[in-house]
Amino acid sequence: MPGLLIKNAFVIDPLSGVKGEVMDIAIRDGKIVEDVPSGAEIIDVRGCLTLPGGIDSHSHVCGTKVNFGRYMSPEDMRAGRTARKGVMHVTSGYSVPTTFGNSYRYSTMGYTTILEGAMAPLEARHTHEEFTATPHQDMLANTLFDGNWSIMDAVREKDVKRAAAVVAWTLAAVKGFAIKLTNPGGTEAWGWGGDMSSVHDTVPNFDVSPAEIISTMIKANELLNLPHSVHLHCNNLGVPGNYRTTLNTIGLAPDLNKERQSLYLTHVQFHSYGGTTWRDICSKSEDITMAINSRPHVVMDMGQIMFGRTTTMTADGPMEFKLYKLHHNKWSNHDVELETGSGIIPVYYSRKSLVNCVMWAIGLELALLTKNPWQCLLSTDSPNGAPFVKYPEIIALLMSRKFRENERKMIDQRTEHFVPLFAIDRELDWYEIAVMTRAGQAKALGLTRIGKGYLSPGAEADVAIYPIKPGEIDPSVDYQQVVAGFSRTLHTIKRGRVVARDGEVVVEGANSTIWSRAHVPPEYDMGKDPEFIKKFEQYYTVRMNNYPVQDVYLPRGIRIETEASL
Amino acid sequence: MKIEDVVCSFCGCLCDDLVVEVDGTRVVSVENGCTLANEKFLGDHRLKTPIRRSGNSWTKISYEEAIAETAAILLDADRPLLYGWSGTFGEAQSIGVHLAEILGAVIDNTSTVCHGPSILAIQEVGHPGCTLGQVKNRADVVVYWGANPVDAHPRHMSRYTTYCDGFFRKDAFKERKVIVVDVRETESSNIADEFMKVNPGGDYAVLSALRAIVRGKGDIIPARVEGVSREQLFRVADICKSAKFGAFFFGVGLTMAPGKNKNIRNAIELTEELSRHTKFTISPMRGHWNVYGSNEVFTWISGYPYAVDFARGIAFYNPGETTSVDILKREECDACLVVASDPGAHFPKACAEHLARIPTIQIDPHVNVTTHLAHIQIPVAVAGIDAEGTAYRMDGVPIRTRKLFQGSYPDDLVVLEKLYAIVKEAKG
Amino acid sequence: MRFLLNTGRTIKQGSFVERKNNPSYQVAAATILMNPVDMLEIMVEEGNHVRVKSDTGEVVLQVSPDNGLTRGRVFVSLGPYANHIVSPETHGTGMPDFKVTPVSIEPTDDPVLTVSSLMERCGGLPYED
Repeated sequence: MPGLLIKNAFVIDPLSGVKGEVMDIAIRDGKIVEDVPSGAEIIDVRGCLTLPGGIDSHSHVCGTKVNFGRYMSPEDMRAGRTARKGVMHVTSGYSVPTTFGNSYRYSTMGYTTILEGAMAPLEARHTHEEFTATPHQDMLANTLFDGNWSIMDAVREKDVKRAAAVVAWTLAAVKGFAIKLTNPGGTEAWGWGGDMSSVHDTVPNFDVSPAEIISTMIKANELLNLPHSVHLHCNNLGVPGNYRTTLNTIGLAPDLNKERQSLYLTHVQFHSYGGTTWRDICSKSEDITMAINSRPHVVMDMGQIMFGRTTTMTADGPMEFKLYKLHHNKWSNHDVELETGSGIIPVYYSRKSLVNCVMWAIGLELALLTKNPWQCLLSTDSPNGAPFVKYPEIIALLMSRKFRENERKMIDQRTEHFVPLFAIDRELDWYEIAVMTRAGQAKALGLTRIGKGYLSPGAEADVAIYPIKPGEIDPSVDYQQVVAGFSRTLHTIKRGRVVARDGEVVVEGANSTIWSRAHVPPEYDMGKDPEFIKKFEQYYTVRMNNYPVQDVYLPRGIRIETEASL
Repeated sequence: MKIEDVVCSFCGCLCDDLVVEVDGTRVVSVENGCTLANEKFLGDHRLKTPIRRSGNSWTKISYEEAIAETAAILLDADRPLLYGWSGTFGEAQSIGVHLAEILGAVIDNTSTVCHGPSILAIQEVGHPGCTLGQVKNRADVVVYWGANPVDAHPRHMSRYTTYCDGFFRKDAFKERKVIVVDVRETESSNIADEFMKVNPGGDYAVLSALRAIVRGKGDIIPARVEGVSREQLFRVADICKSAKFGAFFFGVGLTMAPGKNKNIRNAIELTEELSRHTKFTISPMRGHWNVYGSNEVFTWISGYPYAVDFARGIAFYNPGETTSVDILKREECDACLVVASDPGAHFPKACAEHLARIPTIQIDPHVNVTTHLAHIQIPVAVAGIDAEGTAYRMDGVPIRTRKLFQGSYPDDLVVLEKLYAIVKEAKG
Repeated sequence: MRFLLNTGRTIKQGSFVERKNNPSYQVAAATILMNPVDMLEIMVEEGNHVRVKSDTGEVVLQVSPDNGLTRGRVFVSLGPYANHIVSPETHGTGMPDFKVTPVSIEPTDDPVLTVSSLMERCGGLPYED
């Protein structure tokens, strides 16, 4: 293979310090190289915006609850369907597309890596099955530990090392990537119909608090030297006044890692509400971003909502029931023994709803008020805030004050009294968008070590080339061109191969699943620990031998190995 | 050789604690299994080779011949139906959906005559459920409605409910109340703390009465509702409301009875109503060991759990029209591929007659009722015995079945992949 | 006499699902359970044959008593025999009325057909292994 040469690319590669230069990119054997021999295929992109492949650090695309979102929603399946065409399979679904639907749509938007936001360990095999049916992106799974009995026992006994050992065993068993805590303690309380109302509440029967779980897990994560930090969905999601819980949570985070953050807060829009009821809910984005701006060791993603129909799905079972009691549409719930929970309801975010308008403004404010773009990544918590196909519109809103002002005319006119959005002049630039959609994710997830998120020699050749010529358009004014440009790449290149072109997927694809394996000393091998084994013998309904996800489910697995400091 | 933690591929309980002793390619003993598991593992009544009907006789044919002729039949068909799938593993089901996609066929699984109505209800109102371990560890009230686990899911009660101790239920049999609701007495109703006998077709009204009581509208309940006394209705509602964790399981006694999907909707809405007072969950008692897997696989590929019609190029779903019984009854399909199920036994006669009329091909290890209606049958390895792959338990927990020995039969995946390759080649 | 037919799973039927040419499967699937008083009424004893007719079709089954059944109701295990009398109408749900088929039942001396001959009557060709 003589390789591939992308000529005249307008490159923004934040991790390599390239802030917008016209240059050539040489690719060979799936990697970025210094140069390629003559005879290489040449793609002249004539000054179009060229970025590392997009990385989504929090999206719900594969696994038990995602598939249940499809299963229970034929109306959503009908809302987005395409026939088999060329190498493309049939797709269905708008807010919860089928696996191929997700994969093709992400690919045509230039995304080459996706982190599934929540995988219950007991049901990990399902997530991995869907990963292999999402062929155009490398996949990673956040692994849920929020209601894990062995973890809560270790937390109660103040045994950080034991908590770390449980994480190491579980990630290796289920081929998970990182620690996810969703409403820590709340999912166990929901096993009895309860919830956590603050980080200092007590989990029934376990005598631990969310704050203790979070603190212990942050330390355990660093003992294991995992690539990513703890990935946290705070308590009290979606509750007016919850910004206090979020601030308390941010306050718990120590700075323990030189390379990246020590705590990642996801979909923070849903956690930045002031007021006391739905009547007086208001934005507390200023308080939240003030806390983030003073703590470089905390990173968040937006969790932007966009108007229209979508499906909410989360491991946060009690929250979904609260939401159901507001919406009265349909409600699914799925508690997972000894581990976690989940819930799903469809929603419609309306421009006519003041609450929804406030939520919409908060997400944008978080991005605009966070000084360092590496600390606020772009997300919708897809599909919770909106399906990921809305990302281009969000990018345009962040880049154009004019676009925001136009939207202001369309939404509930009272909104401006409850949010600071329209007083913010900031317009993000191409570089900041590149940080917020790939480089920042690569750094936050710790994926630069496997060559993700940048384009200098040695990197994985995941490249997105958009039909946007940054010198020729003013995103502040031509925001519709920004939307169109980010919706459809000229070329999406995955591991050195063009996989999508002009909105069409052109190859069948073959992805990898990335997981973490932390090596622990033998005395911390939970596979031999009598108490841990007892949980399987007595309380799980699946035998310990049948629990681990076999290698056959990861045909092209990439294992990130670490040595635990235990 | 004794193999531990073997997964039973009979019913939706997907018990994974069997100990099976194997001698060469023969199972010699099974421990921990129920009657159904023992029959499954110890039984050895396989069809030996592919067979084809030629006029009034059956002839043995090779796998290559059988697969080539199957491909030719499916390629020639205007409206092929691919039915079954619940008795095989996910990897094979996945090829099945892609085969349907490329053929423009209808693909349907056994939910269609089992919990299809439950799926329709879930699509209306959702499904508040949980994994079976939640029930085992927490439940103090268990309700079986229109289900007879002793016969259909023999270890359900001992692994997950009545007789199964859990973390918060150290003496389950004493701490846990069991309510059975059915139109007839069964082995299951005999061991219930409370048996509520309902008139046939009366489930919907009884569910509505319970909802009314839970909502505080009990004063409108008449003295008897479909055979159940007002006193008993109040007693049952009270047991449910005062539960710390209630688990509702329902069977085909609700999905097949008059009201069908509306019965299930009512049961789910009762669960939702109870969730406002305490913790309550609801779960269907799925029949085939991997019927839920077929729903899962169909859904992530096509968007729909069953009855998917690819004739328009896109995936189209309209139960009542694209469901197998309706298609066969209307004599609409002109070829049928049956995989890992037995519509000859389980569909009404009119459907069996149409299967005999058209070229029907069956991929199945055993001679069953459909065999007599088929044009070709291709025997395959038995998933969970000499083939392995992914299965989804009735609560959605995915478990990999084990292959206990290397036998001489190809498995479903091998046969379907060959079939798919021929069809793909022909379709370009 | 008119009865209401219910069908469902039984452990015997389940035990023989992989041996449907076996006479035991036939016994499991071709047995109709009746209340003993109803049996007296139509003058049949355990093991006698009855002809069961619905609007859809008819089939010969053998009788077995079941005290748990309310009078006027009968039960047959799901399978090819029951399906000879269940209507294929699904009322737009995909699901036939497996639980409530009105039938008439009368004694007969006709034999209970084997599974394969039952299918032969549907247009199939018996396969004997």
